[in-house]
Amino acid sequence: MKSVTKGNIKAAVASVRTTKARSLLTMLGIIIGVASVITVVGIGQGVKEQVSKQIGQLGKDLITIRAGHTEAASLDSVLNQTGVSSTGGLLTDNDITTAQHTFGVAAAAPLAVVPGGVTGDHTAPSSVVLGTTSALPSVIGQGEAFGSFFNDTSIDSDGAVLGANAAKQLFDEDVPLGRSLTFRGQTFVVRAIMNQFDTAPFSSEVDFNNAIFIPYQTAKALTNNQTSPYEILVKPNNPSNSSSVETALQTNVAKNHADPNDFTVLKQSQSLLATNSILNLLTRLIAGVAAVSLLVGGIGIMNIMLVSVTERMHEVGIRKAVGATNRQILSQFMIESAVLCLSGGIIGIVLAFIVDVLLRIFTSLAPDISWQVVVLATGVSLLIGLIFGTAPAVKAARKDPISALRNE
Amino acid sequence: MPIIHLEDVSKLYGFGDATTLALDEVSLDIEEGEFVAVMGPSGCGKSTLMNVIGLLDRPTHGIFTLNGKPAAKLSANQSAKIRRDTIGFIFQSYNLLPKMTVLENVALPLTYKSLSLTRRIRMASNILERVGMQSREYYLPSQLSGGQIQSAAIARALVNNPKLIIADEPTGNLDSAGSRLVMELLSEIHKMGNTIIFVTHNPELTRYATRVVYMHDGTIVQDEQTAIGQVARTARQGMYRTFVTEEDDLAGVSALMRALPGKPAPKTSKKPARKKSKRKTARKGTRS
Repeated sequence: MKSVTKGNIKAAVASVRTTKARSLLTMLGIIIGVASVITVVGIGQGVKEQVSKQIGQLGKDLITIRAGHTEAASLDSVLNQTGVSSTGGLLTDNDITTAQHTFGVAAAAPLAVVPGGVTGDHTAPSSVVLGTTSALPSVIGQGEAFGSFFNDTSIDSDGAVLGANAAKQLFDEDVPLGRSLTFRGQTFVVRAIMNQFDTAPFSSEVDFNNAIFIPYQTAKALTNNQTSPYEILVKPNNPSNSSSVETALQTNVAKNHADPNDFTVLKQSQSLLATNSILNLLTRLIAGVAAVSLLVGGIGIMNIMLVSVTERMHEVGIRKAVGATNRQILSQFMIESAVLCLSGGIIGIVLAFIVDVLLRIFTSLAPDISWQVVVLATGVSLLIGLIFGTAPAVKAARKDPISALRNE
Repeated sequence: MPIIHLEDVSKLYGFGDATTLALDEVSLDIEEGEFVAVMGPSGCGKSTLMNVIGLLDRPTHGIFTLNGKPAAKLSANQSAKIRRDTIGFIFQSYNLLPKMTVLENVALPLTYKSLSLTRRIRMASNILERVGMQSREYYLPSQLSGGQIQSAAIARALVNNPKLIIADEPTGNLDSAGSRLVMELLSEIHKMGNTIIFVTHNPELTRYATRVVYMHDGTIVQDEQTAIGQVARTARQGMYRTFVTEEDDLAGVSALMRALPGKPAPKTSKKPARKKSKRKTARKGTRS
């Protein structure tokens, strides 16, 4: 490296350090911008990972029949998770039977949301009541931690199975087996507690940890047959033929519906795709907003560099008098603004890692900061320094030595 | 061939009614090895002349050649390189960078020459030793006396071993001890063959010069050779005093005086008066 440049870098670092308070305020825009971009992208990445873990847990070969028309990568697929289908399609008991009897299907379980509040020892406002059948544990490949799942006979029609979090919320204990809870005026007896599920925030799947499973037939009875499944989970008997099962389900279920848009058959990989593309969209959107603050930060840098150049015009005059060329003055101020921005970027990165740790401790989010994002943020902050440092540096370089010297 | 050749050089500032003629068709040749003192009242164009010769400023009209090269044809870049390699500047207000140590200040011209750090430090250190400032290398300018700061500034001017030293009132802000220190340094440099041009208000300092140029209103009114060790004849005889009085240093006051003919300047005791005028020039110097 040329020694002039080296000297300029040294001088720039010294100048940033001697005017600490001002430099920090100048860098604030860059710091916030870099930190928020890294954090947002990190959260997006982390959630994606959590979602794919959650879906992977349910089994990669799992096939979902959803009510309504779900297009991959559309917001519909998120809105449809509650079963309130905007396109009007409803799944019926026929569809459940069809799915169960389709060739190659090992088991099929419906999931239907039953509205209403649950009361045990306490109420559990965040819990969801799902009507399902005894096939669920085998379909999703998750067992009960305690007790055993209800069977589909009428003896068990008042049985309830709790997700781990729901159990804690309703009864303040981990294993409330045999305790009773009230839902829509009917008393249910807790038969089993499910294992803890991996969950992901912002996921399009219902959080099974907060779920209270009741028999599907009981759910229908409670709602005067108004209940219909928002989705039917289907497990093929052999993972390798999940594609053929998917096609078969498509044709078979279509026979029950006049409108092919009434339902959607999705493989796990597809629903993962849908979730991912929505997350990507959201991540990009928020990261874009955060990037605007980088732009604002750059303008702040330009502003302060202009002030600094004006203040140091006399210095510029002295340097020119002893033989600095215009280009040497230009590079001095460019380097100074680049150093300013780069320091801001590095502080921003450190801040992002601190926020990452705090988020991991205090929320269910697990941001995943990739080195690519860090490198990109560093590069962008350096670039901002160079771009927004140009105008002030040119101003200093072009100044006539005599008028620069006259500035005191 | 003269190192400096000025032919009908004029410099105008401003335009329209506000035009000021700082240099009015000045012609001057300075040979290599001369030690030239430039005298004259404030605002007579001395500093402008120094700036033009030092390639900090360009003349409006006329021919100026430095080392045989016409200055008008030099680009800003070429001028900067000539300033770096062949001209050393010494200013009345020192113009050291306040946040740098003496050593760093002296090494500044060398940084623009892309020399390695160790070489820069060695060269700067050598030159500081020559001006007797080696023990002050790591001081900041604010920690030094005026004479010491100017010595450091002289070291900076010398560090590139320039042919030509231009000093614009180098003793203007210094007391008599500091002045002597600075002038003796300059005269030592002169003995080594450098060409020196300096501006002064003090007739005593013409003792060091080989030639004295008197300026008034942008023109050269007198140009005399003088022996080293003697005060120049014109300056001594008081002819200088006919157009430069002590009060001339205070441009505003002197204008007022001239507007009231027959009323001599109020004479108080000599010493405080001189002190006062010195202080005023000093302040004016830093402002300009």
